[in-house]
Amino acid sequence: MRESTIMKIHYGTALAAVALVAVHILMRLTQGFAESLEYESVLANYKFIPYAIMLELILILLAVHGFNGLRVILIELKQGKMYEKAVSYGCFVAMIGLIVYGSRTIIMTNIGMI
Amino acid sequence: MTSDEHKEGIRGMANPRRYGIERVAYLLMRLSGLGLLAYFVAHIYETSNILRGQVGWDEFLELTQTTEGHIFLTVVIGMCVFHTVNGVRVMLGHGGVGVGKPGRPDYPYDPASQNYRHKIGIYSAIVLAAAAMMYGLAVMFGE
Repeated sequence: MRESTIMKIHYGTALAAVALVAVHILMRLTQGFAESLEYESVLANYKFIPYAIMLELILILLAVHGFNGLRVILIELKQGKMYEKAVSYGCFVAMIGLIVYGSRTIIMTNIGMI
Repeated sequence: MTSDEHKEGIRGMANPRRYGIERVAYLLMRLSGLGLLAYFVAHIYETSNILRGQVGWDEFLELTQTTEGHIFLTVVIGMCVFHTVNGVRVMLGHGGVGVGKPGRPDYPYDPASQNYRHKIGIYSAIVLAAAAMMYGLAVMFGE
């Protein structure tokens, strides 16, 4: 993929994540901060399907943005064909791993597999 | 850049005092990005504790809902706000907003893009991050 396309994805995921993370944080402030972190409250958040979809979107957006950012930083520090390939594939695998692990929590909690 | 500066390697590149507030912003952007990625990974692990049921969740909350945990979260809030505001500035700059008109490079070769508009953007990011940290402290310790 061209770097210019990757940077457009990087900026797009950033802007979308800012909007969704703002909603995620505001949800913590609708109740008291400590109260919003209580087990029943968090469980209710996960079981509310629109909120669960939003969490999944945040997970994907931030994983893509975060690991692409890491890739950019690592490639700024050192260059080379093999190194750049290793960094790009390494970041991609880590991103997929994080999305799978986070999705597992969201899906299992949403369908009541606790 | 002189050959002496090259010899300093990454340390020279990361020196925030030599190249003005733009270099400080560059460095803070990368540090806050790495910090936020580390926090994000930890947060995904932290929230997965809900699968251990109420006992597991409460055990993990006991670890994070402490004074140290709240101070750590305040630093995360600061990194998040700085990264967001400075990121918007960088995006606008890449889109050609606020970088000035291209002109003939004359001595002392001041880059047109490093102008007062972008400096204000960087200082605003720092001030907003500090304000958000204070608000976060008030919310977390005000209860």
